[in-house]
Amino acid sequence: MIKHDVLIVGAGLAGMRAALEVCKELDVGLLTKVYPSRSHSGAAQGGIAAALGNSEDDSWEEHMFDTVKGGDYLNDQDAVEEYVKAAPEVIYELEHMGCAFSRTEDGKIAQRSFGGHSKPRACFSADRTGHAILHALHEQVLKHAKSIKVYSEWYMHQLVVEEGRCCGVVVSNIRTGEVEVIHAKAVIFATGGYGRVFQITTNAFAGTADGAIAAFRAGVPLEDCEFVQFHPSGLYRQGILFSEAARGEGGYLLNGKGERFMEQYAPSRMELAPRDIVARAEQSEIDAGRGVNGEDYIHLDLRHLGEARIMERLPQIRQLGIDFIGVDCVKDPLPIQPSAHYSMGGIPTDMFGQVIIDADKTPLKGFFAAGECACVSVHGANRLGTNSLLDATVFGGRAGRTALEYAKKVEFGKINGSHEKARVLDQIEEIFQRDGTESYNQIRNEMKEVMMDKCGVFRDEENLKSCISTIQGLKERYKKGKVTDKGQLFNSELYEIVELGNMLEMAEIISTAALARQESRGGHHRTDFPKRDDENFLKHSLVYPKDGQLELKYKPVVVTRYQPKERTY
Amino acid sequence: MKFALFTGCVAKGATRELMLATIKSAEALGIDFVEMKSAACCGAGVVSEKNPVLTDAINARTFALAEEQNLDIITICSTCQGNLKKSECHIDSDAEYKDKINYVLKDGGHQYQGGKIKIKHFSNILATPEGKALLKEKIKRPLTGLKAAGFYGCYILRPSELSEYEDPDNPKELEELFEILGATPVYYPSRIKCCGFPIIMMNKDASHELAGNALVEAVESGADCVVTGCPLCHLSLDSYQPEIPSLQKKHYSIPILHLPQLVALALGFSPEEIGMDKHIVSTAGLDKILAQHA
Amino acid sequence: MAKFRIKRFNPEKQADPYYEEFDFEIPEGATLLDCLNHIKWNMDGALTYRMSCRSAICGSCAVKGNGHALLACQKQAAHLLKDGSDTITIEPLGNMPVIKDLVTDFKQFWEKIDQVKPYLQNNEKPPAQEREQSPQQFKKIDDATTCIMCGACYSDCQVLAVDNKFLGPAALAKAQRFVGDSRDQATRERVKELSKPGGMWDCTHCAECVERCPKPAEPFYRIKGLMESALKEGVTNNVGARHALSFVNSVKHSGRLNENKIPIESMGYFNIKGLLDLLPVGLRMLLKMKIPPIIHKPIDDVKDVQRIFEEFGE
Repeated sequence: MIKHDVLIVGAGLAGMRAALEVCKELDVGLLTKVYPSRSHSGAAQGGIAAALGNSEDDSWEEHMFDTVKGGDYLNDQDAVEEYVKAAPEVIYELEHMGCAFSRTEDGKIAQRSFGGHSKPRACFSADRTGHAILHALHEQVLKHAKSIKVYSEWYMHQLVVEEGRCCGVVVSNIRTGEVEVIHAKAVIFATGGYGRVFQITTNAFAGTADGAIAAFRAGVPLEDCEFVQFHPSGLYRQGILFSEAARGEGGYLLNGKGERFMEQYAPSRMELAPRDIVARAEQSEIDAGRGVNGEDYIHLDLRHLGEARIMERLPQIRQLGIDFIGVDCVKDPLPIQPSAHYSMGGIPTDMFGQVIIDADKTPLKGFFAAGECACVSVHGANRLGTNSLLDATVFGGRAGRTALEYAKKVEFGKINGSHEKARVLDQIEEIFQRDGTESYNQIRNEMKEVMMDKCGVFRDEENLKSCISTIQGLKERYKKGKVTDKGQLFNSELYEIVELGNMLEMAEIISTAALARQESRGGHHRTDFPKRDDENFLKHSLVYPKDGQLELKYKPVVVTRYQPKERTY
Repeated sequence: MKFALFTGCVAKGATRELMLATIKSAEALGIDFVEMKSAACCGAGVVSEKNPVLTDAINARTFALAEEQNLDIITICSTCQGNLKKSECHIDSDAEYKDKINYVLKDGGHQYQGGKIKIKHFSNILATPEGKALLKEKIKRPLTGLKAAGFYGCYILRPSELSEYEDPDNPKELEELFEILGATPVYYPSRIKCCGFPIIMMNKDASHELAGNALVEAVESGADCVVTGCPLCHLSLDSYQPEIPSLQKKHYSIPILHLPQLVALALGFSPEEIGMDKHIVSTAGLDKILAQHA
Repeated sequence: MAKFRIKRFNPEKQADPYYEEFDFEIPEGATLLDCLNHIKWNMDGALTYRMSCRSAICGSCAVKGNGHALLACQKQAAHLLKDGSDTITIEPLGNMPVIKDLVTDFKQFWEKIDQVKPYLQNNEKPPAQEREQSPQQFKKIDDATTCIMCGACYSDCQVLAVDNKFLGPAALAKAQRFVGDSRDQATRERVKELSKPGGMWDCTHCAECVERCPKPAEPFYRIKGLMESALKEGVTNNVGARHALSFVNSVKHSGRLNENKIPIESMGYFNIKGLLDLLPVGLRMLLKMKIPPIIHKPIDDVKDVQRIFEEFGE
């Protein structure tokens, strides 16, 4: 059995930031199913928010208000306050670590405008900010190799919970296929999101809800899963991300008639309204037949920015357009459509990264979460661009600190290693033994399609019910698949099947929570309930596992400074 | 056809046979050269290790000299070709940079305008439709039966964004020329690889292994000779050949020709007239092959 | 119909690698990764390769296509069909052991990254806010920081193919990212370390890494940057640096390279072993009268060249 004081699953921004905190005093294992540098945080492009005021006066209060309004007032405001106040310090810390930021003429960190933010507060590194931060943190992890043991290409199967306390995880080494139990005083999940549940997504193939579902299967509820953010500028049909920075730098959105249609939807902020509003506007234009050439896409037009500006601020976007669709944005507009991008919901935590399992804030001892897999909730019903890198960094550090303090105080919990290991081995063996006729690929495609069509930007009762029933059918068919590769060595097919199991579970949770929320708020829009309903739904949803079914509960939203108001831009 | 000939340093030094063969074959083809006697070394990718801007300035001066004569530059060395192109790209893509460099050139009475002249390797010129037609017309002794393995030299190919070589992973110029000259081209993966020369003094073993791998591959692909457009490759592959372990282990030996020598042979010159007796590895075997097929 | 000729290797089943062909029509706009996925999901679930972001930023899916390293997700499959060929050959990256099919072992790659101390070194107490860095200073590390550690350069590096002690393009580019960083204080120690055998001067200038790099990191340019920094720092007690200085001197004095002088000056007048190494080739060339003229003649108008050198402070 492998032992670590603290074991972290996921090595993106949140996981690595947590590891750097823990390693100050304790021994830490950092486990990832890819390599740290391949984590999806690296795909974030536009920036990381902090009210530094480097180009215009700014304050944490304004950052807080923008975040709460952007989140359609579902955010827990006590957490938001801590979060935005911590932002500048976190940015300076990254800078001191060596993170490469674009600069102002006077040598300060440059800041640009972003959707829903009333001030230019997105600190950035050209259009690869996530990549710059990811590598800066990875550099620090390499520097602290003595106290951070990295497990690259290891897969986490399940959480070990004994007597109400988390004591470790069961994992397998992807390269050798060996299943191992890792015994830990504290476990931190930083496993990212689950955009891969949807057909069109900006997410990496790795975004398959592994962490959320492992927690869920251990009895932890999942919070606010109905809130999935659709990014307004995913590449048509493929979802590859074109950063909001393109609009932050002045890009236009044009419909098939060449109109800047945002005038109709958010006249004061235009293209820089929050993402939920822009994505809905795009989908409305497309649904009304005003897509470009009558197709399901609209145009992101950067031509007026000029080549020099594009090369300085958006070079990667230009290259992506050239490589993936042969469109040079200096000369032609880019075809885009709303693409599943970010999960506002996830594993419920308090503002210190401690996982809490009910409205009374009962902790699951020894279990912590941060980043996209967690729901603090600082983003409410819709996250503002550049707030996620900040979330991962702030709460990664906090979860690390909390786990560290906890682990210092306790002994290793009791664990029945061979039993836990056998459970996972049995699951794997069961998959190997299946001799059905169903194609996992077909099941995955059907899941993605139905989630996009019926649980996407616009939802209603009829579609959601049909969606849930389709997913339930797919879950049955999933049990009747067939595997080609039964080897131990680097069996990527096996992990894809396990991931698909996680995604089907997640898809049902998302659509079930969406069906129950009979209102429209932030990223969740019901055409049959088009208004926000604070009276009945100013509350967080919690989906619990109960006897193989899903059980829905709710908990209140923390409102401190800003009372819910009508949200217009 | 008239060109400003940028000889490069090595063709005037250790591989004077290259110069000799170039002059002879050009004369026979009716290609006119004006030697750029006041042009400085291209920097060979080494001066830029110390000072990249200086390198570009020195090369801009060379371009200005050609502009003054209104002649395209012709090179006979892949390394010169690559380094001149590199400077040309640097300067042509940045107007401010060009001004900065011209400011320095001014006191010498030169100004580089840009876009007026082209920089071409001898092989590039011969591989044009006109060049090929000219060769066909002037061939006196087709090199029938000779299996020739091309060796391009890195700098003419890569980085392709600066060398502006069309297909650096699958070049065809040398092989097309071999066919026109009557020889049979031999294709082998190492034809676009490094000869090891740049690290001959820093890491001799690695350098020799690079050269050795290429030559073993050429021999085992059935080549009678290796033909290169780069005198530095020639030094690495010919002068060092007797001490390359991988080759010696297999008792292989293969003559290395400069491209203009191969051209000159087909134009009827004798090996002695074009300095083939200056090579370290004997080229006598080639005469036999050619005699057999004559 | 296109043929995907894939190099397969699964030591659990068969000791030796072999090639297997998969035939299908390339869908319009499909990347090479889309095609690999098509094979895995519809034709052979056991086909093994790495992938994640499919947008050229995570660096997982580097493989060899038609003999050269590339990112599968960044390459349009149809672009690999050239000259009327109907076959695309896909192989694992080079210069690394293969684990299974297209999955290679990155252990040594990462060890070399570790060797260059890949983190900012600055022992001063940081200011309360950010350390200042001008846009011009940022520009010096801008390109190097785009590296995604995909291993494409490492795979095709020609020196690594013959000498695995060479640090290789990715590690050297990473090193330049810190050598060039105005906030890093270890420049001199870094370039000293990187001037040792296996370091920057072992690069053979083939620029293969520039061809293969899917990002603007383009390691060869970064290696040239390291050389410039090393010479600027006066780290010159090695063959590579002496070679560069001798070369520059020669061009400055005569406008041309002095081939008689450079080998001796590069080795160093007191480097007996190095000088003896030169002897065989020197003798061979002498016997053929293949040596450069003893009297080194300058180019015409060498004064103008000397003037330019002086303008640049050389």
